[in-house]
Amino acid sequence: MATSIVVVGVGGQGVLTLAKWIGEAAMTEGYDVRIAEIHGMSQRGGSVEVHVRFGREVYAPIVEEGGADFVIALEAVEALRAFRYLKPGGVLVVNRRVIQPPGRWYDLGEVIEAIRTSWPKTYIAPCYDVALGLGSALYENSVMLGFVSQLLGLPMPPSLDEKNRAAFHRGAQLLQNTPPADQ
Amino acid sequence: MRLLLLGNEAIAYGALSGGVAVATAYPGTPSTEILETLEEFKDRFVHWAANEKTAFELAYGAALAGARALTAMKHVGLNVAADPLHSAAYTGVEGGFLIITADDPGMHSSQNEQDTRWYGLQSYVPVLEPGDPAEAYKMAKAAFELSERLKHPVMLRSVTRVSHVRAPVELEPPAPPKWGRFTRDVKRFNLVPANARERRKELVEKWEKMRDVAGEYVAVEGAGDVVVITSGVAYNYVKEAVRRLGIVATVVKLGISVPAPRKVAELAKSVIVVEEGDPVVEFQLRAMGVATKGKLDGYFPKYGELDIGKVTAGLAKALDLPYDPPRPPKPPMEPAPRPPALCPGCPHMGTFYILRLATAGLNPVWSGDIGCYSLGINMGQQDLITHMGSSVGLGAGIAVAGRQFVVATVGDSTFYHAVLPQLVDVSTRSIPILIVVMDNAYTAMTGGQPSPSRAVPVEKITEALGLPTFVIDPVDIKRSVEVVKKAMEVIKAGKPAVVVSRRPCTLVAARKARRAGVQWPRYRIDPDKCTGCGICYNLLRCSAISKRPDKKAYVDPALCVGCGMCAEVCPFGAFVPEGRRDRWLELWQQA
Repeated sequence: MATSIVVVGVGGQGVLTLAKWIGEAAMTEGYDVRIAEIHGMSQRGGSVEVHVRFGREVYAPIVEEGGADFVIALEAVEALRAFRYLKPGGVLVVNRRVIQPPGRWYDLGEVIEAIRTSWPKTYIAPCYDVALGLGSALYENSVMLGFVSQLLGLPMPPSLDEKNRAAFHRGAQLLQNTPPADQ
Repeated sequence: MRLLLLGNEAIAYGALSGGVAVATAYPGTPSTEILETLEEFKDRFVHWAANEKTAFELAYGAALAGARALTAMKHVGLNVAADPLHSAAYTGVEGGFLIITADDPGMHSSQNEQDTRWYGLQSYVPVLEPGDPAEAYKMAKAAFELSERLKHPVMLRSVTRVSHVRAPVELEPPAPPKWGRFTRDVKRFNLVPANARERRKELVEKWEKMRDVAGEYVAVEGAGDVVVITSGVAYNYVKEAVRRLGIVATVVKLGISVPAPRKVAELAKSVIVVEEGDPVVEFQLRAMGVATKGKLDGYFPKYGELDIGKVTAGLAKALDLPYDPPRPPKPPMEPAPRPPALCPGCPHMGTFYILRLATAGLNPVWSGDIGCYSLGINMGQQDLITHMGSSVGLGAGIAVAGRQFVVATVGDSTFYHAVLPQLVDVSTRSIPILIVVMDNAYTAMTGGQPSPSRAVPVEKITEALGLPTFVIDPVDIKRSVEVVKKAMEVIKAGKPAVVVSRRPCTLVAARKARRAGVQWPRYRIDPDKCTGCGICYNLLRCSAISKRPDKKAYVDPALCVGCGMCAEVCPFGAFVPEGRRDRWLELWQQA
């Protein structure tokens, strides 16, 4: 059985890199891996969606709607968009950040609360705030990686540089201080 | 060496292990990374060509001379190269010649969903169809030997979910490049009718032989009376769907899907066919007298890309089995669409704004084109986009049809790709359209490949053709509007004119600045001055600027790249820079 993950966010947030790190970590554990990326249009501030599947034996590169064990969202509106991928009992991890889409203003607290109360297994992770504390929003994907790695049962991928490793550890700590989602 | 590789990287490494000497391409999603990967290898001739036809010709010529050569393109690129493709099958080749196309089922970044395997049938070129990066590596490597054995070009058809999928791939070291020297053989290489008739006869015979060769690429797995014939990426969905339904089936994977191997017709009288794209295999099987259940009769969807769910549902339907598909949950709030937009600080954003002001009241037809500037659709300034070169080509047609005023917008890379010959028509018939070349010095939409615009500036070409040409810097909005108005005078006098709007791609400039440790200015809003008029977020439409609930503007500091166009368009002086703009704009121009 493969673990199916959908990683989403907004172009420029490092969604592709986050997915690649997850894939690398899975590969170092000896798993087979498929990462399905979408390039091109999605890089221009648009929605970005990457599918990651790992397991002893993986064939299909993409996750069907209603088929994801994990949805990992670097942005809250994109988390709403990716809801359709969740399978019953699936885990939803959402970065505490809204990047305003054109023509509509979302209140961060309101979106986060709506997500938290509508899916039983939801983790809200303040990766953006932690990344800013580390000096740059650029680290929010490595903070998120640290947060989800233990949920996914994966180690830190070997290719992280020093700064991203620090961000990874901060993300891992965040998870320690977050109550389990499935009460 | 086992690496996590993108399908396109795997294809490139496969070609290196296969001894490729000449590799050419024109960038196009999802094919671009093939040549990007090969660019690192300086012992080969690797070239970004002006378009897919010139790319094809370079590689085809090299293969005629006995070198191992490849050309790579997205599916629609093969339309541009279709003329030499058909001749390549007639002449055959001496060195291995691999034609790689990357189809885009689901149209993630394309204007159509064409299945290039049809070209295999039409041009008599066999088509290899890998299902994942590891197989793409093996097929790209073996393709050169296959091509030399057949003395014939071979095609490798990838799709988005092979080219842009990362998976573990076992790599072998690159083989030395195989170069060649041309040997005269007029009867074979000169396709005057008398020679071409002979080649045609040979070609038809060769094709029958290739059906047997295709048989060597058939893999049969499992057992049972249910026979599923599949190819390429579809195989992966079949494997998981068969398991999910818990059925016993014989899964037959075609490594070469065109021509369909003869021996497959002997496997069963009735089969299920699962393939990504059009029913190309299914058509061929029916022509061989096999009863099929596939896309033709709607067991599987005729558009969009496959996934496990669609293939499971199709198999269940074909076998009359019950299947309860997963029900996707609904989100608690509607996510507003987030369509791709021009990057914050994109020079094209300024160009569109300038054009709107300069043509106010004239209601032009906005004739658009493929590339970043297609995103002008968000500003209502891309009335049509159909193919590479549609801007000037179709725009000129619209102008002669009913004397409408046409503004044709095209990027620099597309200009060299498709517009050069169109300029000759526009110039010789003096068709009064305004051609706007948005020159950002890169093929930006595909990730910033080099464009010829610095080596051969647009204005040198247009002026040589006698077209009045005006050059503007789009971030200098006020002055540029006046210059474009001068160009409009030419149009009003019944003649064509060209505007070259020049400033390098923001993404490239920002990347270079970051590496050099250069800080650019950032703009913020003075809330006392902002009146919420909306010019910046509605008309300029910078994606770093959003509308607050009180209608006032907000600049996301993480997205602002300091172009200052917002400050130029704001009538109230509400945008305040932090840092110096003039020095940044100078550095940017050199990116």
